[in-house]
Amino acid sequence: MLSTHFLSGATNAKPPLFPATTAFSPLIDPRPKPYPITALLQWNRKPQLSGETPRVVVVTSGKGGVGKTTTTANMGLSLARLGFSVVAIDADVGLRNLDLLLGLENRVNYTVVEVLNGDCRLDQALVRDKRWSNFELLCISKPRSKLPLGFGGKALIWLVDALKSRSEGSPDFILIDCPAGIDAGFITAITPANEAVLITTPDITSLRDADRVTGLLECDGIRDIKMIVNRVRTDMIKGEDMMSVLDVQEMLGLPLLGVIPEDTEVIRSTNRGYPLVLNKPPTLAGLAFEQAAWRLVEQDSMQAVVVEEEPKRGFFSFFGG
Amino acid sequence: MAASVWVFHPRLLSIPPSCISSSSSSNHRIHIRTRIRIICGISNSGISKGTQQLKQQFMNSISKFRHQLVTSPPILPLMNGSKLPIWVCVAVVVLVAAFRVVLSITRRKERPGSVADLVRRGQLRSDRRGISRPLKYEDPFNNPLVKVGKTNSTVEMCGKVYRLAPVTLTQEQQTIHQKRRSRAYQWKRPTIFLKEGDSVPPDVDPDTVRWIPANHPFATTATDLDEDLAQNNVHQKHGVPFRIQAEHEALQRKLEALQNEQKLNKLVIDPTSAKEFERPFNSNARLNDHVEKSSSNNQHQASDSHSPKLDSSPNHFQIASSSPPEEDPSL
Repeated sequence: MLSTHFLSGATNAKPPLFPATTAFSPLIDPRPKPYPITALLQWNRKPQLSGETPRVVVVTSGKGGVGKTTTTANMGLSLARLGFSVVAIDADVGLRNLDLLLGLENRVNYTVVEVLNGDCRLDQALVRDKRWSNFELLCISKPRSKLPLGFGGKALIWLVDALKSRSEGSPDFILIDCPAGIDAGFITAITPANEAVLITTPDITSLRDADRVTGLLECDGIRDIKMIVNRVRTDMIKGEDMMSVLDVQEMLGLPLLGVIPEDTEVIRSTNRGYPLVLNKPPTLAGLAFEQAAWRLVEQDSMQAVVVEEEPKRGFFSFFGG
Repeated sequence: MAASVWVFHPRLLSIPPSCISSSSSSNHRIHIRTRIRIICGISNSGISKGTQQLKQQFMNSISKFRHQLVTSPPILPLMNGSKLPIWVCVAVVVLVAAFRVVLSITRRKERPGSVADLVRRGQLRSDRRGISRPLKYEDPFNNPLVKVGKTNSTVEMCGKVYRLAPVTLTQEQQTIHQKRRSRAYQWKRPTIFLKEGDSVPPDVDPDTVRWIPANHPFATTATDLDEDLAQNNVHQKHGVPFRIQAEHEALQRKLEALQNEQKLNKLVIDPTSAKEFERPFNSNARLNDHVEKSSSNNQHQASDSHSPKLDSSPNHFQIASSSPPEEDPSL
């Protein structure tokens, strides 16, 4: 479930390539497309970073278990692979997991709480990934320590300011992995963010939470919100047992940053502490994360999504081949 | 209803070449053709008048067919008696079968669960098998696993072809959704966190208060940190972290005070042994207790007697602190 990437380039402000249809049956659209998809591939170039650096992006969802941490890990390492310097902040105070997904759990000695206390400096708390040295992890607290909420949000703003004024230069991206829910952790995580990536799955519980969280983000002044639809199964969409991506988009009204297919490799990569995007050869979900990261860099959104697997047709299909 | 089975006997096609010669008479041909027997098997279950009629029709059709065969011009004699067409047919059938086998073998490799597929998906180690290729692409849209169809309406990813559909979300629809959400969710980001039971300060908007349960597992409203100090700590780029330095200085001051009180001018802190004075972790108060206790012990020892060993030893502090309490007459 990926899309081609359009040279039309960028931004939501541009007029859409395709006219809106009111009566839209997105599960499997049987109608002939009125306009051919004029997608063009981008050959042999790196993505162009748009927007002011550091881009502070919060990855949030509302509902738990939809893939916020997985997305943060994979998109972070994809961005690092594309040559951008990335700091991923695990803002999940009580239930941090980003270090596990990245396989860096044994290297987290200091957290933001120790930095605030003056037990260590910020650069000592940043854990540099050995696979991609322009990727750094920062955990906000240890699982058993308590974070003083009085300046949780302020602390993240200070962190962003401190990262901006680093001697080795400001990072290009600061990805904040938001905890589930809309509790104090959510408020802390969204405080320094300028843009948000909303993760949702194509089910109604996740959609309701996503809509509410989007409303809260918009109330807080974060207008640049894009969504990633995770755990999509084309076979279930074809059988009309799952909402299609275009259904989800119609309900939430958000531009699409990516569509991630359900893939058993996600569980394996989680257990191995080795993000999908580093797999050789890449998996379907890993490719989708990479493409989402590319769009994030260029502040682009998807213009076409795949709706179903096309039935195989060949000369020998007549003979049962 | 009677089920009929038509059986064609191919062995009867094995015609001797002498019979198919161009000079053979029409009687011979009739003889040959009539040897093509078509057996009509009728089940015994439902023999009735209807079946009798049906049988009659079949017999008529067979006689018609026989008549056609007799009247139609002979084909086989035109082949000049060679078996070439038969062999061509056999060769084509063999070729098609072979091609299908080859095709199925190649497709079997693409099937999920096969070794090649497991290697491709990273479930098996491929480095020993010699069929892996390094990840050479940098563009996720331009790599061997993503191929867009010529009409741009399909995309092939990881060997599967997907149909594409355009995204139809417009800016107007986005704006409508934003307005809907702004009506549905009125929210202000909380600026103050209070424990249950605390009173709201007078100058604070009650909407921006977030109430935290007293037994919250990982959030606390109590903070013993100064805000400015914490900000400075975050922005500190070089040198010893604030708290480490503060504790070190406090310890230094204690020792200096101790030296002044005891007039132990020879006492110096050896940097190698100074590690022993380092705070274990977040035990400032405990260290202070240690220092106080040790200083009192020292004072007591100093009042008792001056030991030359104590004077010379850089670890005097620790020795003093570890002195047995029985020496203290007050205990």
